Amino acid sequence: MAASGAGVPMRREVLQLYRSLLRVTRQFCDYNIREYSKRRTMDAFRDNKNLRDPSQLSAAFSHGKAQLEVAKRQSLLYSLYPPKVKSIMDF
Amino acid sequence: MASKLLRQTLTKTNRTAAIRCFSTAASVAFPSEYEYPTGITMKGVKISGRPLYLDMQATTPVDPRVLDSMLPFYLSRYGNPHSRTHLYGWESETAVETARAQVAALIGAAPKEIVFTSGATESNNISIKGVMHFYKDKKRHIITTQTEHKCVLDSCRHLQQEGFEVTYLPVGSDGLIDLDRLVKEIRPDTGLVSVMAVNNEIGVVQPVEEIGKICKEFNVPFHTDAAQALGKIKVDVEKWNVSLMSLSGHKIYGPKGVGALYLRRRPRIRVEPQMNGGGQERGIRSGTVPTPLVVGMGAACELAMKEMEYDENRIKGLQERLLNGIREKIDGVV
Repeated sequence: MAASGAGVPMRREVLQLYRSLLRVTRQFCDYNIREYSKRRTMDAFRDNKNLRDPSQLSAAFSHGKAQLEVAKRQSLLYSLYPPKVKSIMDF
Repeated sequence: MASKLLRQTLTKTNRTAAIRCFSTAASVAFPSEYEYPTGITMKGVKISGRPLYLDMQATTPVDPRVLDSMLPFYLSRYGNPHSRTHLYGWESETAVETARAQVAALIGAAPKEIVFTSGATESNNISIKGVMHFYKDKKRHIITTQTEHKCVLDSCRHLQQEGFEVTYLPVGSDGLIDLDRLVKEIRPDTGLVSVMAVNNEIGVVQPVEEIGKICKEFNVPFHTDAAQALGKIKVDVEKWNVSLMSLSGHKIYGPKGVGALYLRRRPRIRVEPQMNGGGQERGIRSGTVPTPLVVGMGAACELAMKEMEYDENRIKGLQERLLNGIREKIDGVV
């Protein structure tokens, strides 16, 4: 399990998390999941942009790290069972 | 030994069989003769890619976060939640109880009031047939609508054949039922009023709060099929005053094959079980609770609770874009 209460994240760490999330979500082979996860991470980071309370910041950061783990596992899993034909939106 | 050698020489084990085992197709190969690298040919139609799925009212794909929570229970934590003597059973039971609490939190109920079933169809059957069979001495009348799901209408027809009376309320041109007509139809021997919260074909949201108030006034149990409503509109069993509610897993980005039934405990509504067996799920639905599916449904409900506001804003934006875009280009759109 990821370490909880890692303290208030610094700006650099938050940006690193954002970049790694976007990188992982780009690897999904399913069009719907790829678009949804990209949009959701962008909106989530945009909504939490103005958080100042340290407990809220660390909670949001650890939530983001947990979602990154889930996304890594699932993108690997989805790529193991790809449909033989691409989605029509990928053309 | 000699017979084994004989058998080996007689049965020709050709090398291609060995090669086929290591092919890249999944070992449980589905006959995907319709999918080619150039496109799909099925039922006489040729398309160049997988279509974009828009039929979310029929079923929804499983969210990857839900799948992530389900997989450990297929791989290593595969115990029967009703086994009380070992770790596998204990961890499965804790997982089922966590899922129960997650489902209950989404609808504003207590975890003890949730019974897991195999889907909304089974929950509807248990509610309608179970309630009427339990109170069959005193209550002989059911009220439902004409636009209900097929399982509700079929259960009512089955009860009609047994001798109960059913009133099918008509709907107006906007899909809503007439509340005065409902009040008129309620009789002293009405055992159940069953109105679905959100219709699955026309998408109308019925005025469940008012119907709940009417049923409370006349002291009639109120059953609602909230399979389509769950996760999309705010479902609160206290405000709606429902006694029974059917929920479905695969409509909220969860797995197919699981559903839930909410049974009010205060005042307690009694049902006769449709599945007899070992008394699991408080005797209402016997049978081993499918841990991975139930955990998936719980995770889906928790996700729905967190994401409901975000999803609503997004869908409203898309809906406005569609409607305004069509209305600008064409006149006379209703």
